[in-house]
Amino acid sequence: MAHSLHPSSARSDMDEIETLARAAPSQSQQVAAVLPAARPASPPRASIPVSSSAPPALPLATAKLPFSAVVPASSAPASGPIIAVPIASDGFGGGPEPAANTLTEPVWDTVKRDLHRVVSNLQLVVFPNPFREDPGKALRDWDLWGPFFFIVSLGLILSWSATAAKSQVFAVAFALLAAGAIILTLNVLLLGGHIIFFQSLSLLGYCLFPLDVGALICMLKDSVILKIVVVTVTLAWSSWAAYPFMSAAVNPRRKALALYPVFLMYVSVGCLIIAID
Amino acid sequence: MDQQPQGVSENYANPKTCFFHVLFKAAALAFYILSALFVNNFVIIFVITVLLAALDFWVVKNVSGRILVGLRWWNEINDEGESVWKFECLDGESLARMNKKDSWLFWWTLYLTAAAWIILGIFSLIRLQADYLLVIGVCLSLSIANIVGFTKCNKDAKKNIQDWTRNALLSGTVRSHLQSAFGV
Repeated sequence: MAHSLHPSSARSDMDEIETLARAAPSQSQQVAAVLPAARPASPPRASIPVSSSAPPALPLATAKLPFSAVVPASSAPASGPIIAVPIASDGFGGGPEPAANTLTEPVWDTVKRDLHRVVSNLQLVVFPNPFREDPGKALRDWDLWGPFFFIVSLGLILSWSATAAKSQVFAVAFALLAAGAIILTLNVLLLGGHIIFFQSLSLLGYCLFPLDVGALICMLKDSVILKIVVVTVTLAWSSWAAYPFMSAAVNPRRKALALYPVFLMYVSVGCLIIAID
Repeated sequence: MDQQPQGVSENYANPKTCFFHVLFKAAALAFYILSALFVNNFVIIFVITVLLAALDFWVVKNVSGRILVGLRWWNEINDEGESVWKFECLDGESLARMNKKDSWLFWWTLYLTAAAWIILGIFSLIRLQADYLLVIGVCLSLSIANIVGFTKCNKDAKKNIQDWTRNALLSGTVRSHLQSAFGV
């Protein structure tokens, strides 16, 4: 527990503060704690708007920190009463030296990391690998930027395609998709499934990507037959993308109950795309 | 950026961060209010306002939270597949050294923005404009999410500051007693 880097002079001071604020800090945690004071740290991790971010060193850091406010979200019904342990951990997730570099990284690096996460989430969800072992794990690093862009762009495309009542179309499309994602998640939770609220929202948002592509094609080419074909294909693709996660989340006897509403929502969006005139 | 002597902060210690902290909030509010007068297209108003609000959310959560008040919060999914909310703050000593003006600006703009969105929401409610309520709903939920997250960090932060100052005082007194006792 050497704290030679800490500016305080008396070791006894440090030890006292130590015992109160945290236990088992490491040298590098002190580095992280001192760094922000010396030079205000730039953003450590990308999280837009509400995304989980786990830079490589963090799992180590959190393992060391004895207190972090752990409030298990009530989204998993199987979990017991919510335990709130609101004790601040020291520093910004200390850990070994590499973490300190992450903390002081420039904003541009953070942005790049976020973009990379969006792209990788997209690949995981929309181009599913049938031989993947654990589908439920795929969106651990959920983020809501992707879903935000896909919902807004789908609304924009539908709005452009419409010749009348454009703003209503947009508002309806946005509200339908956002409310639909929330309700579908609640549906899975009420069926006794194990899914995290934001993870599911993120998933359903990403699965809209094929429908976005379909809507774009439909907007560019105006033949009804083409529209029906394109929408059917992209609809099947979206449902196929959402299937592994949803089915993994509920117990097998209730799979149909969880999947049917998802399929229904995508079908209704598909009808909206075809019917837009 | 001038480094003022500790305990005396007459200037903002991080003017660029403060600027960005306020920029997106003000832009979202200003665009929303002014566009209702000049732009007749709801879709554009929606997309730009919500985009600005989302950018503001990101900036506050990732940049100004850390730099201005030394707090951070985020969500993780652990290996068992459970969602875990983490709230972190700097240790007591660094926290006490944070610039007071910075944190004043941080908290006040946070609260004022939420209050402004609520007032705009009431106007929309009175005028029965459901689609504008949608915009306001999204922006308001983003603001409130940040307020709640940082308030949760702040409770821990306050406790940390108290602990630290109490200990600093304690050991200071003890040390001076010892020194006088041993004539050092």
